[in-house]
Amino acid sequence: MSGATKAPAPGAAAPALLEARDLSISFSLRGRRLNAVRGASLSLRAGETLAVVGESGSGKSVLAKSFLGMLDKNGRVDSGSILFGGEDLARYTKERQWLALRGKRIAMIFQDPMTALNPLKTVGEQIRESAALHRGLDRKASRLAVLETLDRVGISDPEGRYRQYPHEFSGGMRQRAVIAAAVACRPEVLICDEPTTALDVTVQAQILDLIKSLQRDFGMGVLFITHDLGVVAKVADRVAVMYAGQVIEEGLVREVFYDPRCPYTWALLASLPQLGVKGEELYSIKGTPPSLFKQIKGDAFAPRNPRALLVDYEEEPPVFDVSPTHRAKTWLLDPRAPRVEAPDTIERLRARLAAGSGGTGGRP
Amino acid sequence: MGSYILKRLGQSLFTVVIVVISVFMLLRLMPTTGYFTREDYVNLDETARTAYLRNLGVLDNPVVQFGRFMGGLAKGDLGRSISIYPRTPVTAVIAEKAPYSIYFGLVSIVLSMAVGLGLGVSMARHKDGFADGAGTVYVTIVRAIPSLIWLFLIQQWVSGVMGWPMVFYSDRPVSWILPLVSFSLSGIAWYAIWLRRFMVDEENRDYVKFATSKGLSKKRVMRSHVLRNALVPLVQYFPQQILLTIAGSLLIESIYSIPGMGGLLVNAIRQQDNPLVQALVLLYAVLGVLGVFLGDLLMVFVDPRIKLEGSSGKAA
Repeated sequence: MSGATKAPAPGAAAPALLEARDLSISFSLRGRRLNAVRGASLSLRAGETLAVVGESGSGKSVLAKSFLGMLDKNGRVDSGSILFGGEDLARYTKERQWLALRGKRIAMIFQDPMTALNPLKTVGEQIRESAALHRGLDRKASRLAVLETLDRVGISDPEGRYRQYPHEFSGGMRQRAVIAAAVACRPEVLICDEPTTALDVTVQAQILDLIKSLQRDFGMGVLFITHDLGVVAKVADRVAVMYAGQVIEEGLVREVFYDPRCPYTWALLASLPQLGVKGEELYSIKGTPPSLFKQIKGDAFAPRNPRALLVDYEEEPPVFDVSPTHRAKTWLLDPRAPRVEAPDTIERLRARLAAGSGGTGGRP
Repeated sequence: MGSYILKRLGQSLFTVVIVVISVFMLLRLMPTTGYFTREDYVNLDETARTAYLRNLGVLDNPVVQFGRFMGGLAKGDLGRSISIYPRTPVTAVIAEKAPYSIYFGLVSIVLSMAVGLGLGVSMARHKDGFADGAGTVYVTIVRAIPSLIWLFLIQQWVSGVMGWPMVFYSDRPVSWILPLVSFSLSGIAWYAIWLRRFMVDEENRDYVKFATSKGLSKKRVMRSHVLRNALVPLVQYFPQQILLTIAGSLLIESIYSIPGMGGLLVNAIRQQDNPLVQALVLLYAVLGVLGVFLGDLLMVFVDPRIKLEGSSGKAA
């Protein structure tokens, strides 16, 4: 982090391992520009898990892909920076620059393990590919490394499994194999793009445990993209909430879950089925997210926010620090703002915290 | 796997038998006047005609005739040509003509694969770029314009420009070039367009994204993942294409006067040369069915997901 100025740190603790600063990404679609990410900032530290949550189209996957230089051809980083290892990845222009990084220092796991592996190559070979490439091992040594990794991710009979094809693996086993391929080179950052969405619930829990234990062993920073707040509670240390291409709230899981400050975060939490009251209709957010083809004026969530302030329609809110580790992008935190109460569900959550169910949330 | 192969061979044999019997019986439904040239028919009287037909054996009950055909077949005797090469054994006719067609066919397959697959790869790699555009133009021309037109253009124009002979001479290699090119043009288009299509399909799959995220270079992803997977659906057709080169090409062989198999079946049918038709139909049916069968077998070796019935799981 030599040349970079000191981050406007949300949490002052450790320096950021990977940091997006005011990042804007757009795609050109049939002559129109779609602003998928609009000035998003977040930071990931070594050894921590940062969950990025948001609904479909909020830009969380695009943001993650930009960290690997894997935006689709029609996408580009318009402004902002991605700081990693003292370099600004947003300035990368050549594939060669990315190749030194991908899989070696930053690895990624995708959503659907059923399609992430090449059906015509043995699982072992697909893991060996990256091990051999990045660790400079010969065939025999890389094979041994793969067997070791397979064992580490909980695949029994690594020798036999090495020679098998993806179709001979179950969904959960495939995701383990994908994880093995991703961590085979001991990356510093592991990006997980909804790695459990396609799996059934029991397998989900196992995979989450696996990712956590690998993180502990290797000290990786894990960026966990999900829309499942239950998963967030289980794996994350910190959460970043995204809406319409911006990070609107970032903080420790406890802070965001029990003391959310943005109306969108309120709404998101209030619509959790687990927080519903039996017999009452479950809260749902009205309307749809704004079109990212258009210039958005003010707070992107304002049109769907029943408690929106007038200023929300006019000016984009700045980011306010709630605590050294918690920041939120909403006018409600401005000293001039009127007092707006969080909805009942959020109050109930706070009450529950006060009653001391403790921890980082667990399952609400 | 053994039992599956036996079952498929049985089915193949059944198909061939049905084809041969159908063609055999259809030929017997043709009017007997077809066995004579116009001249002979006028010159011979009724008894001479009957004697000639009896001698050919075509007046017997078709079932008896079929029995005779099968008996000959068992001894490797396919009969003698009636009208096209009178009294020459059919096997000798085929043995003389087939090598020309096989030679041109095989060389053109090699040429088509080398050029066509290469073109397909560069079209896919530079999708929407120059190679893709130029390749598409080529494929469209070859496939949309009737081949007769460009075959004639090549023969007339290129042979004129290059000063090459316009017809085939077995002792002048320079005269082999244009027929070979003509043979290969549509094959090149076929390989290019299908390989491009399958590669573009594969490129958009998730495993390619994952392979890229592992840090493999685009070149490496293309070669060891995309190309390999895209070749799988094409592999199935290789045996068929190779085996059926023996049939030659009616058009190309006739414009370059190549004494191959090209027009043989058509002429034999037109002149009601029963033994020749029967032999050719038998040959093409066997090779065609065998080609499909070998293609299916080949798939097992290139695609581990395909398991043949009754296989113990060690097929791949």
